Amino acid sequence: MVGIVLVSHSPALAEGAAELVGQIAGGARVVPAGGTEDGRLGTSTRLIVDAIAKADQGAGVLVIPDLGSSVLSARAVIADLDPGAPPVALADAPFVEGAVAAGVAASIGADLSAVARAAEEARDARKL
Amino acid sequence: MPASSEGPATAGRLQNTEPPENTEPPATAEPPATAEPPATAEPPARAERAVILPKHLHARPAGLIAQAAARYPQTTIEIVADGRRADARSILAVMALGAVAGSEVLVRTAGAQADGATATVVAILTAAED
Repeated sequence: MVGIVLVSHSPALAEGAAELVGQIAGGARVVPAGGTEDGRLGTSTRLIVDAIAKADQGAGVLVIPDLGSSVLSARAVIADLDPGAPPVALADAPFVEGAVAAGVAASIGADLSAVARAAEEARDARKL
Repeated sequence: MPASSEGPATAGRLQNTEPPENTEPPATAEPPATAEPPATAEPPARAERAVILPKHLHARPAGLIAQAAARYPQTTIEIVADGRRADARSILAVMALGAVAGSEVLVRTAGAQADGATATVVAILTAAED
């Protein structure tokens, strides 16, 4: 199953979103990577690397950043991955909706590109 | 497809919550092993059922529906509420229907296993609040 990493400036935001997705998309593995290593607002490449390792189950990992330096840090991490590592993709998607849609797709066994597509389609999903 | 073409004929009140497992229509049974050219001739099966929601169609049931829909890859599954349609595979589209407790929604399916897919989705929609 594809794993999902949620990268946010805020530990609480990443953890809350991961908890939400876990509830809605039962079975998906969603790992938060929020804040700095000492729990402040910010991003940490180290936390993102660890989260990717935790999320990986062999079918690849989709990383969903919230905004700003989350995107930059996630990009930096992905650029530095071992060539032999499982595939990791970065989603250009709204954080909560993208995570929920990706979580459902992952939970039904979709492959990495389909999970990424589910997240990115959330850009066009209307709420009302 | 125009939204006005609802076929109310089969849309009865629903009471039985059948087990979600695939209740395939046995009638269309598979041809014997020596089969003639399959498939092409048969029109796709269709099914439609109306349900009064006992609870809001919020995130969790929408997620369950999307997960269940994935078990019917050959079947088109739509949920219709207040004249708006959502693909059951899209949790975000289903949530965006904004269907509330007490309102009627229509489950409309087409393709192989249409009956089983309908029963599965109806069972989720009518399950008691979790």
